[in-house]
Amino acid sequence: MSHRRSTRREFLAAATVTLGSLALPRPALAKGSVTAAMYPGTWEEAFRAHVTPALKAAHDVDLEMTPLFAVDQIAKAQASRGAPPFDAFVLDPGPRVTGIERGLFEKFDAKRLGNLARLPAGMTDEYGVTVAAQVVGIGYNPKKLPKPKSWTDLLKDPWVSRLGMTGFQTTYGTVSIIEIAKQFGGSETNVEPFFVEIKKVLPKVAAIGAPASMPALFQQGQCDITYTNTQTVATLRGRDVDIEFVKPESGAVAFFTTMHITRGSREQENAYKYFDTVISAPVQSALMQPPNNFIPVNREVKLAANLPMASLDEMAKFVKHDWSKINPLRAGWIERFNKEVAK
Amino acid sequence: MTRESEWQLALPLTLAYAAFFLVPLGLLIAVSAFGDDRITTLDGAQWRKFLGDPFTWKVIVDTVKLGGLTVAATSLIGYPLALVYLGAGPRWQRVILFVVILPLLTSVVVRTFAWIVILGREGVINQAVLWLGVSPAPLRLLQTEHGLVIALTQIEMPIMLLPLLSVMSRMDPNLRDASAGLGASKWRTLVRVTLPLSLPGLVAGCMLVFASATTAFISQFVIGGNRLVYLPLIIWQQSLVVYNWPLASVAALTLLVSVGLGVAAIAAVGRRGRAYAV
Repeated sequence: MSHRRSTRREFLAAATVTLGSLALPRPALAKGSVTAAMYPGTWEEAFRAHVTPALKAAHDVDLEMTPLFAVDQIAKAQASRGAPPFDAFVLDPGPRVTGIERGLFEKFDAKRLGNLARLPAGMTDEYGVTVAAQVVGIGYNPKKLPKPKSWTDLLKDPWVSRLGMTGFQTTYGTVSIIEIAKQFGGSETNVEPFFVEIKKVLPKVAAIGAPASMPALFQQGQCDITYTNTQTVATLRGRDVDIEFVKPESGAVAFFTTMHITRGSREQENAYKYFDTVISAPVQSALMQPPNNFIPVNREVKLAANLPMASLDEMAKFVKHDWSKINPLRAGWIERFNKEVAK
Repeated sequence: MTRESEWQLALPLTLAYAAFFLVPLGLLIAVSAFGDDRITTLDGAQWRKFLGDPFTWKVIVDTVKLGGLTVAATSLIGYPLALVYLGAGPRWQRVILFVVILPLLTSVVVRTFAWIVILGREGVINQAVLWLGVSPAPLRLLQTEHGLVIALTQIEMPIMLLPLLSVMSRMDPNLRDASAGLGASKWRTLVRVTLPLSLPGLVAGCMLVFASATTAFISQFVIGGNRLVYLPLIIWQQSLVVYNWPLASVAALTLLVSVGLGVAAIAAVGRRGRAYAV
């Protein structure tokens, strides 16, 4: 009998403590948080250093990041419909079009961004907001090779025997191959001339690597010329690697990196605050500085001297691509690339 | 606990396997039966497309061959090391065991990228080759099958050695002494006594290495690049780059069957070897 009484007393005491602890004032918590998918590496480090503190200071919102490449974000969001694994995407144009087609984004209201007026026209739409630009061209080692002029130089001597290539798995790889194909009579939807030309020089090509290993292959001297973006070039230069960026004669390629709210996200309000912080002038300016080397989209940011343009308006002159046309063809191109380059 | 209720102890693991292996496997098989990337038409078209392509068969053969070469290299290098372990005193045995386990403490990604530095055009091996005058120009080691096998041999070595050392350390040393005492040469003792007794460990190591090397996507892609195409690369491209999940499922099941057959073949060779020894 006494045993039962003591158990009940213990239970009541425990319940009181538990309920009481819930009612106690908690240490100051943030007004909430937002979970954002983030490119691993440079982007994640730069966002941790600049966006996280800025978002906390401006809106008292904690930024949690899930490191994922663009294609992985789409796959993960698609595999977990109804329970979004993160609140915000950061995407290149190809995966962005896939996300739109597969209905993975919430409708976007650009008017909710305080910094909207500071962006050039066309940087927002009903799906999301542009937060950075990427410029793709040729990166080469000036100590080992003469300066290349055009995309076609990549397939000629002396460059081809030092060329490092990637396939269609990445945005920069895809647009570079399209540009090479164009020089030989191809187009955005016809890369056949590239396959014809690459077949002639394939045994000479120094490296055909995984995208993630390309900076390491360049750094180790496995290849001395490759198609790449300005950010990778700047990052490698920061590590004392001999590399220069060249805009090909036919023009460098530009594409934008955009952010989107995941369909079904419960933190939409905080996602807008996060986007607004990312495009704010102080954050964009900090992201532009080494070792981050982002190309900003906020008009109020004075562009650094090492960027491939003097003003954001010049971006209009760069070569752009329509990914709604490229995406349906990409699977076939990847298959073809495997067959053509595999030994 | 009665003998009849002992099976209940295995229940949590059985349920976990059912939930996290059998159900996903069932889903994989179901998805593979669809013909389009939106998973709407159930016609098995991806199976016909994949298996009807001669390139696929080349990739399957290359994948199995990579596993076979890695098994051969790890066994040839690992077995003598295991014999050294067998003959060493307790202190040296601990040292050898530590050296074997050491690579496992580093992430496979780090080990793989380290191999870029070693095998690269300006890497350690090529510097030595040029210095010794073995070749006038740097050898191409990265993005070649033999370069990949060299790297995988080091990467997979611990999983070959751990089962082998475990079996070796349980071996009764009196049996080898008895063999010598009855007049058998060292070589005969190795072939007729040590090897048959260590065979279960060797077979287990070979199975693990084969399954691991054929599915080692990071090492295959980072060291092999796009010049060497194996089934894991196709699974990655189809599932994560072009989102054709039915085709990715077909490739995944093909890999599962290929690895399963390879492992079964190793087990069969092991059984025959034991029968021969007896």
